[in-house]
Amino acid sequence: MNQSIQTQPPNNVSLLISQSRTNTLGNKTGTWRFVRPKYQEKTAPCSNACPLGIDVAMVEMFASRKNYQNALHTILMENPFPAICGRVCFHPCESACNRQFLDQSVGIHQIERFVGDWGLSNQQSPIQYPELNGAKIGIIGAGPAGLSAAYFARRLGYQCDIFEKTNQPGGLLISGIPSYRLPDRILMNEIQRLNDDGIQIKYNQSISMDKLATFKQDYDALFLCCGDTRSITLKIPGENLAIDGLNLLRQIRSHEMPSIEGTVAVIGGGNTAIDVARSLLRMGANPIIIYRRTRKEMPAHPHEIDAALDEGITLKECLSPIHIQDETNCLCVTLQVMKASEISNEGRQSYIPDGNRREKLQVNHVISAIGAEMDMMWRNDQWDISLSHCRMKQISGLSVFWCGDLTISDKTVTHALASGKQAVIALDVLRKHGNDEIHKTFHQCKVGNGQAISFDIYAQGKRKQRNNNEIVSFEKINAAYFPNIPAVQVNKQSQEAYLNSFEEVISGFDEKQMIGEASRCFNCGICNDCDTCRIFCPEMAIQWDQNNRHILMDYCKGCGICIAECPRDAMNLEVEP
Amino acid sequence: MKEVLEGSHAVSEAVRLARVKVISAYPITPQTHIVEALSEYCANDSMDARFICVESEHSAMASCIGAASAGVRTFTASSSHGLALMHELLHWAAGARLPIVMAEVNRALGPGWNIWMDQSDSLSQRDTGWIQLYCETGQEVLDTTLQAYRLAERVNLPVMVVLDAFFLSHTYEPVDIPDQTSVDKFLPTYCPRISLDQENPNAIGQMAPPAYYMEMRHSIQMAMQSVLDEFEDIEREFHHIFDRTYGPITPFACDDAEYVFLMAGTSASTCRQAITTLRDRGHKAGVIKLKMFRPFPTRYIRKCLTQTKKVIVLDRNCSFGAGGIFAQELRSAMYASDNHPQIYSFISGLGGRDVTVDHFIEMFDHTEKANHPENESVWIGLNPEQLNCDNVKGKKNE
Repeated sequence: MNQSIQTQPPNNVSLLISQSRTNTLGNKTGTWRFVRPKYQEKTAPCSNACPLGIDVAMVEMFASRKNYQNALHTILMENPFPAICGRVCFHPCESACNRQFLDQSVGIHQIERFVGDWGLSNQQSPIQYPELNGAKIGIIGAGPAGLSAAYFARRLGYQCDIFEKTNQPGGLLISGIPSYRLPDRILMNEIQRLNDDGIQIKYNQSISMDKLATFKQDYDALFLCCGDTRSITLKIPGENLAIDGLNLLRQIRSHEMPSIEGTVAVIGGGNTAIDVARSLLRMGANPIIIYRRTRKEMPAHPHEIDAALDEGITLKECLSPIHIQDETNCLCVTLQVMKASEISNEGRQSYIPDGNRREKLQVNHVISAIGAEMDMMWRNDQWDISLSHCRMKQISGLSVFWCGDLTISDKTVTHALASGKQAVIALDVLRKHGNDEIHKTFHQCKVGNGQAISFDIYAQGKRKQRNNNEIVSFEKINAAYFPNIPAVQVNKQSQEAYLNSFEEVISGFDEKQMIGEASRCFNCGICNDCDTCRIFCPEMAIQWDQNNRHILMDYCKGCGICIAECPRDAMNLEVEP
Repeated sequence: MKEVLEGSHAVSEAVRLARVKVISAYPITPQTHIVEALSEYCANDSMDARFICVESEHSAMASCIGAASAGVRTFTASSSHGLALMHELLHWAAGARLPIVMAEVNRALGPGWNIWMDQSDSLSQRDTGWIQLYCETGQEVLDTTLQAYRLAERVNLPVMVVLDAFFLSHTYEPVDIPDQTSVDKFLPTYCPRISLDQENPNAIGQMAPPAYYMEMRHSIQMAMQSVLDEFEDIEREFHHIFDRTYGPITPFACDDAEYVFLMAGTSASTCRQAITTLRDRGHKAGVIKLKMFRPFPTRYIRKCLTQTKKVIVLDRNCSFGAGGIFAQELRSAMYASDNHPQIYSFISGLGGRDVTVDHFIEMFDHTEKANHPENESVWIGLNPEQLNCDNVKGKKNE
């Protein structure tokens, strides 16, 4: 029992050191300061790359903490369709991600999908809408641009009516994207959310240019979101023997499976050609994609091309069809062999015929999928306002906005959604402050140095406090805080399962994978409450109270350690005023 | 349980058994194996300790100072240039009276670049206020490390456990590794006399003006002066539990010896062999292995040398301009005693060069013949061919 007494006898060894119990509050080291730190949030490169300017860093932060409600609301602030975009967006965010310079980009796309799906399965409606402001807008077309315009207009208090030519909503989302990329239930559930929020869609309403003036009676503005509805033709003899690719996709989507068997030549190199080829494969046919340049120049998204080739689809490059002939039991396509020209056009390699070299290809069907263009009646080049994603023209005193594929050069769902958002904000500024204020307001609402406009900034949300034009580069990330962690690989169905059906190919992240991936995000430029600044402050000048972090200027000596340590460039050092 | 252990790992095992809470170190040959093993123990939960990786030895000691101020057992290890880089903080650790324990693997300083055994690195730190304990075998390394914690915590001074590069750090020997229960009995949970307390905040190490500073330095010296008695108690208890004892010095064949060698470290083993040869030839020769260098165990040495005519000191170091450091220390320790022996100073085995039985015989023969010690240390084992080689071709004045 006396072990402690034995081993710890009274210690009489001399021990005299300097110590004090006086605190340091009286030592106001703030007088030493000539530079001061400041919490200054900035734009992450992913947000800068996103056509919608989504606050990705914030979404990943919430998602990694399982705060799906806030993650969803952060996306919905800029994008009405997270579950759709989480599937069909070409995710330029990932190509811009700073993490690629450490190991691999964060899988932002799949995280958005997870959050979007969580919203659908938990029936989360967005934010409280404001009271209606009395103004009413009409929207022509229930595709991505039209639905986006309606959504953001409703968020600004406008009453909206959508006029849709067909009998269902979605536009290109439903007619142009196969269900193995975007299942019906996801598409319809996300659109249903807008319906639930009081946005009216009137179906089977075909509107022509000459009827626009009649809208002046009931509407304060009109948004043309009709999309590219006319397929571009091949302009070669025998073209009438080819099947229109966009029409084919529409038929497949509405389960009118046309009977297409055997070898099928799919002409084109864009997403439509890939979608057609992959759909045909699922219907049991043997598609061959024929493109007049090489794979490198194909306008389709590289990951879509990869998926098609992985599924075993043949790609024939440098071949341009010049003639289609009907032969017994088959079609014969005459193909001109193309070669690279020495002249390149705006950085893109041009191709010219390689003399008279030709090939003949015998197939059962030919599908033309070389793209679409707008209906001629919407053509116009006189504008009152011209912005990156929309144009405006006064027609008989009615503000008419051209949106979506009618104005944008990057014909993607995400750009179309951005177009609807931009047009609505432009209208709101126009009505409240007049034409002259639009450019100024857009400059204030810009995310990074691109063209994305933030609805959150426009609505005076928290993002307004940021230095939105400053983009966080990898050099500004304190990489010492981030060990290498490889990206989480997304789950895919087995090829046997998806090649024989139109079931979704990518099955997304489960919750654990999603959290793992979202936790890899640097959260560039935003304060995620990591507390590193407070821990490192040698003067204990950084205080945390009432859920807020602030700097006690009486004690901050301006050493800048907080800024050097901040893992994610959410602080700045400024010279004393 | 006996195991064949590398000398470095004898330190690691002792640190693990001492239940150290914070280890901070920067790798340097020949020390690295010590902390390499410890980092693995921390990683695989064999130890409940934090291993702090740092960017330099200066920071390693700073981390230990921080952790020790918070009241936990700490450990670091270093060598040569690494120890030299720590120098400022060695003073701080002792001045702050923190019982930090460090393993110091004796290695030469460059240039010429040399990773081998030499005592200059630890002896350069003799005035920092650290207790220095030199070891000869793997077993002694393990035992001394455990004793070091008891001693450091008893007198509130940091302890350096010193072992020879490669001759000891990289040599495998059978070592009896004690069981945890016995170690816990010898080295109970640390009850710090200095410890930061969040409930009762205080600041330590402030400005001490002329009216206060000197007493603090006096206190360090008082603590150093108590070390011999405290170490005696600790060794008694250690012997009781583990049946092994070393003493501040370890004499061999000294009772009737007219000639006594004195040195620290592994060369003592070689010297004992030389003693056997000399005894066979009829010379009354013995050897003192010096374990404790700081504080200098004057009273033990004086007692041991009462019959001695001549002391032969081997220094594997050189204080340039003054000669072998152990010899200087011994001279000043013996000066005040009546009829003190003559002290002969030899320098040998620098930068990892072997010190052989023949070298000891040479030192003995030299000492036996001499009437008086030379004014300067005598160098043994120099290569005459290299001595006459001047390899720097300077410009001649014409």
